[in-house]
Amino acid sequence: MNRKIKRFTFTLLLISLFSVMQVFGQNSGTGNAILESLNTFWASTGFANFAFKNLSMIAVGIIFIILAVKKGWEPLLLVPIGFGMIVGNIPFTTGYEIGIYEEGSVLNILYSGVVKGWYPPLVFLGIGAMTDFSSLISNPKLMLLGAAAQIGIFLTFLGAFAIGFTPQQAGAIGIIGGADGPTAIFLASKLAPEMIGTIAVTAYSYMALIPLLQPPVMRLLTTKKERVIRMKPPRAVSKTEKIAFPIIGLILTAFISPSALPLLGMLFLGNLLKESTVTERLAETARFALINSITIILGFTVGASTQADRFITWDSLKIFGLGALSFIIATASGVLFAKIMNLFLKEGNKVNPLIGSAGVSAVPAAARVSQEQGLQADRTNHLLMHAMAPNVAGVIGSAVAAGILLSLLT
Amino acid sequence: MGDILLMTVVGILVVFIALAILVFAFIGFGKLSNKSFSLKRKKTVTDTETVATEKKIISGPEVAAIAMALHLFLSDEHDEESNVITIKRIERRYSPWNSKIYGMRNLIR
Repeated sequence: MNRKIKRFTFTLLLISLFSVMQVFGQNSGTGNAILESLNTFWASTGFANFAFKNLSMIAVGIIFIILAVKKGWEPLLLVPIGFGMIVGNIPFTTGYEIGIYEEGSVLNILYSGVVKGWYPPLVFLGIGAMTDFSSLISNPKLMLLGAAAQIGIFLTFLGAFAIGFTPQQAGAIGIIGGADGPTAIFLASKLAPEMIGTIAVTAYSYMALIPLLQPPVMRLLTTKKERVIRMKPPRAVSKTEKIAFPIIGLILTAFISPSALPLLGMLFLGNLLKESTVTERLAETARFALINSITIILGFTVGASTQADRFITWDSLKIFGLGALSFIIATASGVLFAKIMNLFLKEGNKVNPLIGSAGVSAVPAAARVSQEQGLQADRTNHLLMHAMAPNVAGVIGSAVAAGILLSLLT
Repeated sequence: MGDILLMTVVGILVVFIALAILVFAFIGFGKLSNKSFSLKRKKTVTDTETVATEKKIISGPEVAAIAMALHLFLSDEHDEESNVITIKRIERRYSPWNSKIYGMRNLIR
């Protein structure tokens, strides 16, 4: 009974609304004015501007969020990027300063940090304030593994050029192999700004997929005997060494590759803030508040920049393919270089080749993969501390590589 | 393509050289730092040795007293205080069990 009364009241309301609209329309003399304004409104909605391309990108965004929440793959990156993808692919009418590519819109202003390349150095400041370089200082030779993994960058650069990209675009694509999101964005913003979105999403996607991409390559290139190699525990590092590291590290690397100064300068500054122990407040801000704020904005705007009409192209597909290839080459180079090092090292000083793969930056995911693989081979062999050395060396190495590409290609 | 190939080789070499320089710098710095640390340690050890030979052996109770003082100082043992200052009135029931009056001889007057 109640339902019938509700239905009746609702129908009555609708009829009265339409009759009021009709009367208003006749009285105003404009006739279809309301219908016209309704049409205008309809034209501005997402439904009217809908394209299946947008829907597919929204689906990708949702998959990113599911992977982050369910699988725990790089959630700090994939959640903002995934949500940004959904926001960036809601169809809209241009001209109202809404979209990320519309001059003066809020999203465009936030995106300027990506385009101009000033978010990555700020992220590096936070990374420096978070990173403990002790394992690297205690066993400096492991730094070479970080250099070896950068071969992925240069071989991908070569491959991208071979399949038709310009040298600048090839350089920006190659840096994906560094497995370092901020560095990739920094270099892409300088060399191929039109590709930032694709390159950033590719780099971050593969960084999240490191636990899937690296293990098969690592197992393929190592024997069971090599996987169970035990490494000496790292020696204790004095406070003086820890404080000297960022200063000496900056001077030596930045003199060789000054183009990477914004990245290296901020990385080592962050580390000095941490290790000096007299600027704890600043270090804490860099490693928590600052890097978190920048990560949110960076991830979100990079996600939002993947508007379907600009993102779904053949070039994007090629970049995705090259990205996977560069990660595989980088992992393989690190592992193989560790094996080559073992040829020259004495028994007892040998390096477990599984830590070679950690030379691709992606701190600390790549080091964690080495640890897991090491534990699978021998349940008592913990490689995490050793793997952190090439891992953080990879951050320095990829920044140096970005600087070299920048100076060679501009 | 030739230029790109050259760039690739140069790029890889420069990354290796940059990090190799860092490796050598830190191997050297590590050795230097270890040397100065062991020198300092040697110096402090010889200092304490000469002091020990000059002074006579401390007796057992003295060692125990120093150890106790150090222990108290390092562990900073102190009662946990509530920081609430109040005067607690403790009420007790009257009990004559130790009353003086019952312990005295009653004089007969």
